[in-house]
Amino acid sequence: MAQSIADLPKEDLFGQGNAGCGGCGAAVAGRQAMKALGSRTIMTIPASCMATLGGSNLKTTWQIPFYHTLFEIAPAVSSGIRAALEVQGIEDVNVVSWAGDAGTADIGFQSLSGAAERNEHMIHVCYDNEMYMNTGGQTGSQTPMYAITSNMTKGKQGKKKNMLTIMEAHGIDYVASASIAYPLDLIAKFKKAAAKLGFSYIHILAPCHRGWQVPPEKTIEFARLAVESGLFELFEVDEGKRTRTLEPTFIPVEEYLLPQGRFKGLTQEAIQGIQASLNKHYGRGE
Amino acid sequence: MSTILLTGSDAAAYGAKLARIEVIAYYPITPAFPAMERISKFIDDGELNTRFVRVECDHSALAAALGASLAGSRTFTVTNSQGLLYMTEVVYHTAGLRQPVVMAVANRALSAPHSRFPEQGDAISQGASGWIQLFCENNQEVLDNMLQAFKIAETVRLPVMVNYEGYIQSHTLEEVEIPNQEKIDQFLPLNRVRTLDVENPQGVNTVASPEFYMDYKFNQNQAMEQAKTVIKSVATDYGKEFGRDWSGLIEAYQMEDAEHVFVAMGSMISDARIVVDELRKQGQKVGLIKVRAWRPFPAEALREALKKVQLITVCDKNIVHGLGGALGTELKAALYGQAVRINSYILGLGGRNVSTEEIKKVLELSEKTAKQTTASEWFGL
Repeated sequence: MAQSIADLPKEDLFGQGNAGCGGCGAAVAGRQAMKALGSRTIMTIPASCMATLGGSNLKTTWQIPFYHTLFEIAPAVSSGIRAALEVQGIEDVNVVSWAGDAGTADIGFQSLSGAAERNEHMIHVCYDNEMYMNTGGQTGSQTPMYAITSNMTKGKQGKKKNMLTIMEAHGIDYVASASIAYPLDLIAKFKKAAAKLGFSYIHILAPCHRGWQVPPEKTIEFARLAVESGLFELFEVDEGKRTRTLEPTFIPVEEYLLPQGRFKGLTQEAIQGIQASLNKHYGRGE
Repeated sequence: MSTILLTGSDAAAYGAKLARIEVIAYYPITPAFPAMERISKFIDDGELNTRFVRVECDHSALAAALGASLAGSRTFTVTNSQGLLYMTEVVYHTAGLRQPVVMAVANRALSAPHSRFPEQGDAISQGASGWIQLFCENNQEVLDNMLQAFKIAETVRLPVMVNYEGYIQSHTLEEVEIPNQEKIDQFLPLNRVRTLDVENPQGVNTVASPEFYMDYKFNQNQAMEQAKTVIKSVATDYGKEFGRDWSGLIEAYQMEDAEHVFVAMGSMISDARIVVDELRKQGQKVGLIKVRAWRPFPAEALREALKKVQLITVCDKNIVHGLGGALGTELKAALYGQAVRINSYILGLGGRNVSTEEIKKVLELSEKTAKQTTASEWFGL
């Protein structure tokens, strides 16, 4: 693991001139990940903010091959790319599908689960902003309980689907959570994933300040508060071995939730319920 | 070169093997699955150096094939009916990305009601997708069209569907001559085009604004227009090398002085040849036009071939609801202004039998129909 930001490659393979909003968490995630993946990487990105902010018409911010795929096919396309590279004898290329929470957990779940079950030699990244931001911020399976969205104005009734547990259950080589507030941890996890010969899944919490209704300059701060509250645990499951990669300080969950506009309807009772559930279940009680 | 008994499925598989496909992705479906299994066996037996991507659905099958093609490998998939419909989004996308994927389709009726029997409605549903579509009349043509499909696809940079009907062709044994591999390698050399290449990074399918989108589509359609010439020249070249010229977009049979012409595509053609020969012996001036390429639609070739005839009987194993048979409708449009009566019939849907008897009857019925059918008539209800 790199000891400091200063140790990282200076070259940016993604990010310069991207069309994301100022303070875009997804763009930060992409820039950080590319520090680990390097130039010999083929990136497939389904319909999402990340696909559109990476280029339009004759311009692209990607310095690597980048393919904007259909919404639900990135892991399948990447499987085909890997097959083609193998048959051509090309071995030193990372194949990465990089989807939002919809392209991962909802519309993209079938092809993701299929590729994971086959243990394809690839990395799938979910950059999770917990709602469908590319279409204006609707609710999806990764939207947390009570969050207000453009199509659930009274807040979501129902839990966030636990994608990390689901992907771990596929028995793949590597599963990790990551946060854009902890770039060295994120980059170390991408390095590990890139060294695997099977399937890796990395789930990045990448806040969208528009959807979360927080100031753009606080994107990283809210990513950090999610981790420090314990609501987003940083861990990895490496060949079946589960390790927490950061011990949080366990700030009260309300310090993370209440400043966000999307949780403005949250009652004290609801906050206490979330805190109690967290205290009981954090890291499976380990 | 050797001649063996093969089903249409096996003929497609042998075609893929001779083409030395590098990647195959498929999801099992009836009746296409024997072609898939045969290819998997070739791979398992070490006869074919091909990567098999065992996807979890038809949609991902074409997606994986597309990914492999973008990375430069010669790529193939097989499906039919519901599988093809499920793939539809990727079907259009593959054509737009100009990837030379070849797909065999063992044509089967579409649900509802559920049917696993032959019909051409599945392929017809993809008529606007941007894929070249070839229809085969027998198993030899399935194999030969497979090889020509890769040649055409890689020349014009468009994907190609090779259609043969479920069961009637996919599961029926016929004598098929297997071409010599070395000669096929010369006919179809492997020239990889890597769209996704770390040595030459590009953004693929970036968002196209109104200033760009229409021009992409124009170029894509120009490639389809170019295919009209390429399909013909590839058929001629293949004929010279392997002794079987399947003609280009259409084939004219017994057309010299024909007054009444049967027009169709697929398995009906081999039966229709027998009928035409028989009627000719009886002194009737009957001819046959086989539509081999449905996309690009051979409008000019059909106008030329049918300019002197008096009556056309066109038969469709498909129904475009609210319109009629696809071939009948498009033929009428193509021949607009030519003085000819065109009677259009829907028949053989969902596996209802069409043999030489039915073709004879529909020709007789058409002769007796004094006024041109306004839409397609249903035959054999």
